Amino acid sequence: MNNTNAKPAIAIKALRKSFGPVEVLRGIDLTAKDGDVISMIGSSGSGKSTLLRCIPMLETPNSGEVTVGDDHIVHNGRKLSKSDNATARGIRRNLGFVFQSFNLWPHRTVLQNVIEAPVHVQGRRHHEATEEALTLLEKVGLAHKRDAWPAHLSGGQQQRVAIARALAQRPKAILFDEPTSALDPELVGDVLKVIRSLAEEGRTMIIVTHEMGFAREVSSRVVFLHQGQIEEDGTPEKVFSNPASSRCKEFIGSHFQRNR
Amino acid sequence: MNIAFLSDIFYKLLSGVPLTLNLTIVSLIGGGILALLLNSMRATLVGNAVASAYVFLFRGTPLLIQIFVIYYGLSAIPFIRHSFLWTFLREPYWCGLLALILNDAAYTSEILRGAFRAVPPGSYEAAKVVGMTPWSTFRRISSPIALRQAMPAYSSEVVALLKGTALVSTITLMEVTGIASAAVRETWRAIEIFLCAAVIYLTLSLLVTWLFAYAEGRLSPWLFREAR
Repeated sequence: MNNTNAKPAIAIKALRKSFGPVEVLRGIDLTAKDGDVISMIGSSGSGKSTLLRCIPMLETPNSGEVTVGDDHIVHNGRKLSKSDNATARGIRRNLGFVFQSFNLWPHRTVLQNVIEAPVHVQGRRHHEATEEALTLLEKVGLAHKRDAWPAHLSGGQQQRVAIARALAQRPKAILFDEPTSALDPELVGDVLKVIRSLAEEGRTMIIVTHEMGFAREVSSRVVFLHQGQIEEDGTPEKVFSNPASSRCKEFIGSHFQRNR
Repeated sequence: MNIAFLSDIFYKLLSGVPLTLNLTIVSLIGGGILALLLNSMRATLVGNAVASAYVFLFRGTPLLIQIFVIYYGLSAIPFIRHSFLWTFLREPYWCGLLALILNDAAYTSEILRGAFRAVPPGSYEAAKVVGMTPWSTFRRISSPIALRQAMPAYSSEVVALLKGTALVSTITLMEVTGIASAAVRETWRAIEIFLCAAVIYLTLSLLVTWLFAYAEGRLSPWLFREAR
């Protein structure tokens, strides 16, 4: 980064989260600067999806701090106050989130899905939002499906619409929660291509993924989670070729072996 | 069989259709509003218990008994006879309507509850994550999805209520069934008269079914129309 004093896009401090007696996140510190493309890897149950979902508070952390742009929330285990909820909405408006299972609204067409948040949450003009949405749909290769229903699209197409929907919010950063895990293998490529083009544009992204080859190529940073803690954090070259942690080495070794 | 008699009785029964429709439609509106209130009560623990007890009571007892309790039972309570409520509750129409509304609310609230629970959790999460307020989420996401999902079950409820209005004939209301039983008492030609009444109910049910099929097609086109 040119400006090291710039505010980070996303900052997470000492984040903890338990589901009942199970502590899923055990003190996470993570900062994403503008333009960072961070891949989070780790075995199932390592807490990577939970960590991602804690940022826009789809899960409420037990303790810790989350900062997105100017919005800052301190979690202390108590119920969120009214102003906390307003801050949470502020955080969400500044983030795009792409789910593993797409989660398009079934009663809205492709175009309506994309303009819903710009028009009805951010209060932008309908025709402006529509114009921008069409550009975004063009970008993900689905402009011709603008009037189709989500139920009539393939998984890969739905996920690309979901990405356009996230982009339509003009987010400061985009979070991807295993965006290709629910897709048939032959559809994965189209979605990865779109994500890769976003990385090349210099967008700030955090991607939870099992696509190791993809993570290695597009990320500026790779984070390896193990049992709710960050075990390894560095450039893709370092994490994939020369990890300090033996668990990380094992995980990556097993992955590349399996994919061979 | 006598064609002249049949057409005569048919026209007579048709004169009861406005009251049957009146009772059905007003009960649907009243029952629908009450059902929404019952469902919004379910947000709290106490409200949930009250709503569950209400549904248990009105689904667990015969509509006929509910009508009788309101028509014969309430008039036995001096407090009610001396209150302003008496202007309504001494009329069989209002008693019948009240019973139908209360009964319909119980069924409709259960249909709505199921429909809202069947909204995909992912649709709520997607709404939350773009920063929608709970009220916008209800208005723009969950209600439209839930109402569409409720349509098939609700069309059954509308037909059930339509037929349920026949029971208010027991408290002297002259809707289709009331006119039919009166005519049977006069002429003793039960088969022709009741068959005529059945045909009228059947026709009305058919109209309701068509209406809902049409509405479903309009509201959930992705289930019926192919992709463009």
